[in-house]
Amino acid sequence: MRLRRRTGRVMDRDDRGGGWAPVADAPQDAGPDGDHVIDWRNSLAAKRAPTRGTPQHELLRIREDISTRWRATLIATGLVLLAGLWLFMATGSSSDLLVPSPSETWGGAMRLYDDGVLFGDIWASVRRILFGYAISMAIAVVLGILMGSFRSADSLFESPIAFMRYIPATALVPLMLFWLGIDELPKITLIVIGSVFFNILMVADVARNVPKELINAAYTLGAGRLKVLRRVVLPHSLPGIIDVARINLAAAWAILVVAELLAAEEGLAFRIARAQRFRQIDEMFALLIIFGIIGIITDLSLRWLRNRSAPWARA
Amino acid sequence: MSHGTVILRPEKLEVHGIVKRFPGGRRRPEVTAVDGIDLTVRSGELVCIVGASGCGKSTLLNIIGGLESPTEGLVAVDGERVIGPGPDRGMIFQGYSLFPWKTVAQNIAFGLEELGWPREKRRERVAELVGVMGLEAWADRIPKELSGGMRQRVAIARALAPEPDVMLLDEPFGALDAQTKRVMQDHLLEVWRTTGATILMVTHDVEEAVYLASRVYVLTSHPGRVAAEVPVPFAPGDRVPALKRDPAFLDLRDQVQDLLLDQVRL
Ligand SMILES: Nc1ncnc2c1ncn2[C@@H]1O[C@H](COP(=O)(O)OP(=O)(O)O)[C@@H](O)[C@H]1O
Ligand SMILES: [Mg+2]
Repeated sequence: MRLRRRTGRVMDRDDRGGGWAPVADAPQDAGPDGDHVIDWRNSLAAKRAPTRGTPQHELLRIREDISTRWRATLIATGLVLLAGLWLFMATGSSSDLLVPSPSETWGGAMRLYDDGVLFGDIWASVRRILFGYAISMAIAVVLGILMGSFRSADSLFESPIAFMRYIPATALVPLMLFWLGIDELPKITLIVIGSVFFNILMVADVARNVPKELINAAYTLGAGRLKVLRRVVLPHSLPGIIDVARINLAAAWAILVVAELLAAEEGLAFRIARAQRFRQIDEMFALLIIFGIIGIITDLSLRWLRNRSAPWARA
Repeated sequence: MSHGTVILRPEKLEVHGIVKRFPGGRRRPEVTAVDGIDLTVRSGELVCIVGASGCGKSTLLNIIGGLESPTEGLVAVDGERVIGPGPDRGMIFQGYSLFPWKTVAQNIAFGLEELGWPREKRRERVAELVGVMGLEAWADRIPKELSGGMRQRVAIARALAPEPDVMLLDEPFGALDAQTKRVMQDHLLEVWRTTGATILMVTHDVEEAVYLASRVYVLTSHPGRVAAEVPVPFAPGDRVPALKRDPAFLDLRDQVQDLLLDQVRL
């Protein structure tokens, strides 16, 4: 294969295999003549030149951005697939309502609303999560920052927390109901127990990742240890703490559901258990979808909060 | 004072017989990072330490800063023994270690807040330093929006703000490109001349050391000891970029370079 460079020089593969060399006997002023000489001054012809390197498709590049259009398309596709799966299953079993269709599900939601229980149930569950998870995060921030900052605190709390973390919180539900009755207290306690150990260990990890140099810089600027915790470790850990809260929130919901299934008078999971007793699969579906919606809303809000409160940590 | 007592006026910074050993573990041998270093820095002096990578320069500086304690020996500032970190010894680290969530102005003000300066005084001091460092346009930006040279200026301003007795700089220009580095060297000289600060600076760049310092300590490698103390005869006024082409300068630079080269064993 011969090439004509932009300079007009005709080149060919070097005999010794090392790249391109000018061809001495080529007609140096010839125009595009045949397939074997490529005129670099002609962009159409240049496209026919042999290539080097492997091109990567936009969608298959590791850790590269994709265009907004592709992103929107793919997000929509994901949602359509989910909806499609639902419709497919619903049409396969329409008569006996094993899998209700979207409109049947909507009807179920409406029935819950007309009964006047829908928002009461949502609020009952959300309130328990808010209380319990706030307590859990408060404990986790204090203990986690201490464990991430002081080896002594780490050594003291590490083993008990590791032990507690491996006791499935769901296994504690009967015990908590026995100890604390069936009111709000056992549910909130269970939310705390079901999430706090994960939260502590993950916040400790976040605090451990505060660069030592920042801590040292604060010391040499006159800050004492408490001030270093408050003015360096805490602000540096803030975005990480919000992420921890976001990730472990699902564990709190899981334990709440178990508690509500076993003992409650209101709440989303209590309503699911009731719907099961009366074989109202459409209501169950409506309630499940509400769980998903609440989850997505909190997830997005916490992401927003993280980016808002710590713009410096944005990628 | 009772009669007969001889009072030796201590230098600004005195470092006596500093040894630092890092204890080994099951698989790791004990490391002696620094093995008996003595040095002094007089008030208003700019002194450089040069040494190969890993010879214990950062360790030594951290000990002087009070961030690590020596295995043996002692450090004194104005005749007072150093037992911990404090705002009297401003430090500038190898990375810039700016607080990434704080703006330039807030970073500079950090030490002043710790000292309990009132807001108005703080504002004045920050504005003054922002001016000295040429950071006016950047005062309300956060560090990730700044170039390396800018960040280093902020770090210098932040360390200068509480008016420390001694400034300790750990390879401050090591991560900068050659051009920025030269600008920053002249900038540091200007800061030094205008503030009269006492500066101890670590570098592995011999030209930089000879250009900036009135004395250069050359360290041995593994473990670090003082191999030589080289006085640099150029007057403060001579330290302009042209000096780097002066034969006397080049001669001294090569001399120090050779001293350092003797220490490098692979
Ligand atoms: N915390 C530590 N534990 C064990 N060894 C260390 C520690 N810090 C530094 N060292 C060792 O001490 C020596 C000197 O390190 P350092 O002071 O960072 O050198 P320099 O700043 O001159 O490059 C190196 O060999 C390094 O591995
Ligand atoms: Mg170092």
